[in-house]
Amino acid sequence: MTREEDHAMATIVLDPVTRIEGHLRVETRWDGPRLAEARVAGEMFRGFEAILRGRDALDAPVITQRICGVCPVSHAVASCRALEQALGIRVPPNGRLLRSLVLGANFLQSHLLHFYHLSILDFVDVAAVLEADSSNSAVRALQAWVEAEVRSNRVLPAAPFLPQWPAGLPPEARWAGRALGHYLKALEVRQAAHRMAARFGGRVPHTATLVPGGATAGVDPLAVEGFRSELASVRGFVEEVYLPDALELAARFPRLADQGVGPDQYLTFGAFEEADGRLWLPAGVWTGDRLDPLDPGRITEETAHSRYRGADRARPLAGETEPAPEKPGAYSWLKAPRYEGRPVEVGPLARLRVAAASGLPEVKEAGERWLAPAGLRLSDLSGVTGRHLARALEAWMLIRRMETWLDRLDLAGPTVGPYEPTASGEGAGLVEAPRGALGHWVRVRDLRIETYQCIVPSTWNFSPRDGRGRPGPVEAALEGLEPPQGEPRGLAVARVVRSFDPCIACAVH
Amino acid sequence: MARTRREFLKDAAMLAAGLGLGSAPVPRLALALEGLAAQRPGLVWLQGQSCSGCSVSLLNGERPGPAELLTRYFSVWFHPTLSAATGDEALAAVERAVNAGGYLLAVEGAVPLGMPRACTVGQEPLVDLVSRAAARARAVLAVGTCASFGGIPAAATNPTGAAPMGEILAKAGLSVPHLNVPGCPAHPHWIVGTAVLVLHKNDVTVDKEHRPTAFFGRPVHDQCPHFARYERQEFARTPGEDGCLFKLGCQGALTHADCPWRGWNGGTSWCVRGRAPCTGCARPGFARDPAYPFFRLNEGRTA
Ligand code: SF4
Ligand code: SF4
Repeated sequence: MTREEDHAMATIVLDPVTRIEGHLRVETRWDGPRLAEARVAGEMFRGFEAILRGRDALDAPVITQRICGVCPVSHAVASCRALEQALGIRVPPNGRLLRSLVLGANFLQSHLLHFYHLSILDFVDVAAVLEADSSNSAVRALQAWVEAEVRSNRVLPAAPFLPQWPAGLPPEARWAGRALGHYLKALEVRQAAHRMAARFGGRVPHTATLVPGGATAGVDPLAVEGFRSELASVRGFVEEVYLPDALELAARFPRLADQGVGPDQYLTFGAFEEADGRLWLPAGVWTGDRLDPLDPGRITEETAHSRYRGADRARPLAGETEPAPEKPGAYSWLKAPRYEGRPVEVGPLARLRVAAASGLPEVKEAGERWLAPAGLRLSDLSGVTGRHLARALEAWMLIRRMETWLDRLDLAGPTVGPYEPTASGEGAGLVEAPRGALGHWVRVRDLRIETYQCIVPSTWNFSPRDGRGRPGPVEAALEGLEPPQGEPRGLAVARVVRSFDPCIACAVH
Repeated sequence: MARTRREFLKDAAMLAAGLGLGSAPVPRLALALEGLAAQRPGLVWLQGQSCSGCSVSLLNGERPGPAELLTRYFSVWFHPTLSAATGDEALAAVERAVNAGGYLLAVEGAVPLGMPRACTVGQEPLVDLVSRAAARARAVLAVGTCASFGGIPAAATNPTGAAPMGEILAKAGLSVPHLNVPGCPAHPHWIVGTAVLVLHKNDVTVDKEHRPTAFFGRPVHDQCPHFARYERQEFARTPGEDGCLFKLGCQGALTHADCPWRGWNGGTSWCVRGRAPCTGCARPGFARDPAYPFFRLNEGRTA
């Protein structure tokens, strides 16, 4: 929250943006009631690409997972696929399926975390829970707790749920009771999703079993059935709670349906290997009304406004990452990836757009079952509430696909291919993370890493301006924002920013 | 939320079992928990050069789970991933906490001593913020291998001069009680157990690396179910093969942690049970030396 100023050119800064992954600063300039200019900045740098240089090639999946504790599985899969391509390593069908199951389980925990624990407090007045007439014992316990807290003389009563924005949150008891009750329940459900990931991943966050060639874990029938039963419980929660809540959010905040719309250019790398190696979710580029095939050769990264030395524009494998913390004109540790020179949005909305245009049957079913009864169409999803809905729909589609992957596991087959690498080569590992398209590019010489570059979902979405001054997708989505009188501007900004599910440790790495 | 004596005893029994302490210390732990619940000490959690994996791991804790930690045992004055307050309000919450003092400070991630601009919060370099916050804390918990020992951000060539909390405290001349809870990420029991023990009369035995011996007292190897196969030299030779993983690069003999019997994700599995070598993620030298790879599969393959 920040100073609300009436004069014409107010500046509002959010730093730190909490309830996201990582260190994010958002600076906005307002022209009267309208947001005129936004700059989003990643404020933490570690230097993974420099750390990887010269190491044993097989260190890469272990190290790159640590780029992000929310989506480590996506990094493991991207890294393994890049090395498989570079070193000519084969993956058996079971290996692909186990990877997709672990990746899917982690998508589920990430989507649940994002909706309930990172986002919902932007839509709920916590104090209103006191008036809720709930029969749910967890909600009643929470009421008693909030009541005792706000009466106490604690340093920060009811933290971390309070303090909240001073205005702009609906003071509705029933909604507050429902949302906060589900916040608590979702803490347990996302643990179940993580237990699923651990059954074949060894443990999470940061799996142990994903290696170039597949997954070492094997297909113990007990693990398969344990996974299946937890998947069924997560499915119950998604159908009975998560999707209805995401729809309720859209219904309660109709104004947010077309707030925070991105550049209307969407990109996906595709993900989730089937047994035969094809991808369940397709790759593609959606530009307004046209689907084009993905051509990774059209990806560049720019650094004109990023805190790095060297060329302003490079193809991924030619990229360098030489930090220049005090570079004039630079305002972020993120680079600015561009597709054919343009900023593009990545994430669940992009995946849904591309999958729908590719005719994926699950998308049609999801639309008919969940959106149509609410009077919504897929093409309506584009702003703040649309992104939340896209995530929830994806969770539902994914669970049903995961059920078929479990059925296709061959209990007698190997889960990892033989390790017979060529000594040198180049590879690209393109996959999806919960937040969007993720790419790892590697060049290996004598089984050591010569060059490693990652372009991460939040790098696309939260990129700073490029050499031509063109804003990144989130910057573009913020510009033009005009919250109604009485709504804190910081809240309006935060809702847009969080709808993209920022992961800034990832984005910079 | 309100609790009875009997419930504290139940929680204490769970916690003692979880900590591997047997039943003898249960009454003592029950007292510790009751004391915690009565007081609900403030917890201030700051993130540096981290991946948030330790925060996510904390949310994976069971008995006590995250809801109980938030409402029963701690007052989470600030946590970047959970706090409702954003921007200036978040900074104000941190300031209010620092002014009040007496909280448990948890730091996740390394601190870029060599390049202060590489991690800032409200444009304040993290090194300044954690030093200020540590000065007013009752104890400092370095959560995870990055905060404990430097971890991956400090791996060669350490581009940002990343340093662990011990070094930051020494540099600031602070003698506040300091514990390391390594692991990449740290196991939720390790974090919660250490916090409970330290807040109860600082009742925790540590080794020279500031690690609580309750969790990090013995090498993984000594407790591993494959130990007998190691002795019989029944080694896995290729990824996915059954057997002791020593020949694939397992670092269990060098790594002090109790994963073999504690398990991860509610005891669901752990690295070696997934037929993957221990990569030494709780080791002080985790990932630091490129000459020491996680797998030994490329040994002898190149000139
Ligand atoms: S698998 Fe690793 S920890 Fe277990 S006995 Fe073998 S070398 Fe030791
Ligand atoms: S077995 Fe080793 S690598 Fe796995 S979690 Fe334990 S200490 Fe970390």
